[in-house]
Amino acid sequence: MSRDLRIAVIDKNPLRAAILEDGLRAAGHMSVVHIDDTADLLERIHAIDPDVILIDLESPSRDTLEQMFKVSRSVARPIAMFVDRSDAAMIDAAIDAGVSAYIVDGLHKDRVKPILDTTISRFNAFAKLKKELETVKSQLEDRKVIDRAKALVMRAKAIPEEQAYALMRQVAMNENKKIAEVARSIITAAELLR
Amino acid sequence: MTKRLRIGYVPLTDAALLHVAKAQNFAAARGIEMELVADSSWANIRDKLVAGYFDAAHMLAPAAIAVSLGIGHIEAPLLVPVVLGLNGNAITVSKALFEALLQEAQGDMSNPRVTAKALARIVARRRERAETPVTLGHVFPFSSHHYQLRMWLRAGHIDPDEEVRLVVVPPPFMVETLRKGQVDGFCVGAPWSALAAAAGAGAILHQGTDIVHDCPEKVLAFRAEWVLSHKEEVSALAEAVGDASRWAASPSNRSSLVTLLTSTAGKDVTAAMLERILDTPASTSGSALLSSGLRLDEDAIKADPAQALWLFAQMVAAGQTTYSDALAEAAAAVYAPALGPAIPRAAATPVIFDGPAFSPNDIPSYLAALEDGRTSA
Repeated sequence: MSRDLRIAVIDKNPLRAAILEDGLRAAGHMSVVHIDDTADLLERIHAIDPDVILIDLESPSRDTLEQMFKVSRSVARPIAMFVDRSDAAMIDAAIDAGVSAYIVDGLHKDRVKPILDTTISRFNAFAKLKKELETVKSQLEDRKVIDRAKALVMRAKAIPEEQAYALMRQVAMNENKKIAEVARSIITAAELLR
Repeated sequence: MTKRLRIGYVPLTDAALLHVAKAQNFAAARGIEMELVADSSWANIRDKLVAGYFDAAHMLAPAAIAVSLGIGHIEAPLLVPVVLGLNGNAITVSKALFEALLQEAQGDMSNPRVTAKALARIVARRRERAETPVTLGHVFPFSSHHYQLRMWLRAGHIDPDEEVRLVVVPPPFMVETLRKGQVDGFCVGAPWSALAAAAGAGAILHQGTDIVHDCPEKVLAFRAEWVLSHKEEVSALAEAVGDASRWAASPSNRSSLVTLLTSTAGKDVTAAMLERILDTPASTSGSALLSSGLRLDEDAIKADPAQALWLFAQMVAAGQTTYSDALAEAAAAVYAPALGPAIPRAAATPVIFDGPAFSPNDIPSYLAALEDGRTSA
């Protein structure tokens, strides 16, 4: 059986790197090393001597990896970018997910493709998670603003909670705004008039 | 009807003409809406242009040629209708290396021949003592920064592949690597040398123009295949870059240009830095030959195939490819001035401070002369 591939993950986002490492381990890849996006990248790569390098597209260090290609005399094991020219869909998927892969030259594509598939799906999963988290955060934020505004309306008009909320919702509907926007206006106005 | 083009760029001072074309509405006037997308690496710019994520890109001139010729790992024919400027690089060294060069220098430190010879003695001493070799950073294997370092080293008879280490260091890491002593110096585009000097991490040793006068830098590149079906958009954008060039070179627009570039540059880039980076417009300096800064004028943006050939020759000299007439022809064909603005005068020819004269019609002789210069001590 062939030796387990050594995989280096270059990503300045430790959470995303952890999610990816987890995914690769689940797929049976035990030697995965996370490298912080640092200045001495080349030395660290030499020390790890990976078969596959996965790198976040936002990292400027991609250009450092570019010098490890065949044309360079500076490295012992030349690497190549994992681009299957026959598979434009895979390039698109990788760019969409924001990741790129480099492999030791000569390594069979079949061994690497599942790794890139896992990477792309984990990067996408992370992006989705991040988006969901942001949505939840802004919803929580809205909730807080609405509650504050509701309390202001209740006090100013001496009305119960349900009525205050109904009033705000009515204004939002009339003005074609979100209720959170109306709430923000109420808070701003209240601060002005204080 | 307005066409929207997505254009990738790396946030450097020499993306200036793209910012001007957009901000001064030169592109809009020609029916192009420019969506400028900043990216973090030249590898991304290349991949996203080739994959069709970008319609056009601010690209290292030698990288555009390398991709077109399939040197490296991706082959995709590109076309360059217009150049985005000349010059702008500088060689910056750590304080320690600067001091050492000062000690060794026999003559004027502003002369790259003097500093290269001083460097040769430092390189030799480090090798004798089996110390870490002198390490110099640049930005991409296919970049004029890389070739400028090699030209400087050649003047000191230093073998760039055996006696020193040339490494790619992303500009955002340069200050840190200089401070930590991971690199001893680097050749980088504006504003990064100015930023490293301002941060006290190093000293600017030579302007790029000390090494090469009118050195090709960035170009506006398109996929050749895409150009076939979008000739109008390509020409409209290239013409808008021409309009931007005339605007930028006019002394009366100098302060507006600096203001615009201050707003598009990072927060640490000051107007004073940009004043030093940008070339002084010809009408005030008297002669373009004296230019020591980033040139954005009309004579600096013509996509002259001779420039592509000069870059191809530097690639061969750097051992990145081997010379053939067919490759030279393909390299020259990447530059397509017919698609760009009509500029009647000939384009500026790059001139190396310490090299043989370049003749686009006889690259093998030029390469042989370069080689002779290296072997004769």
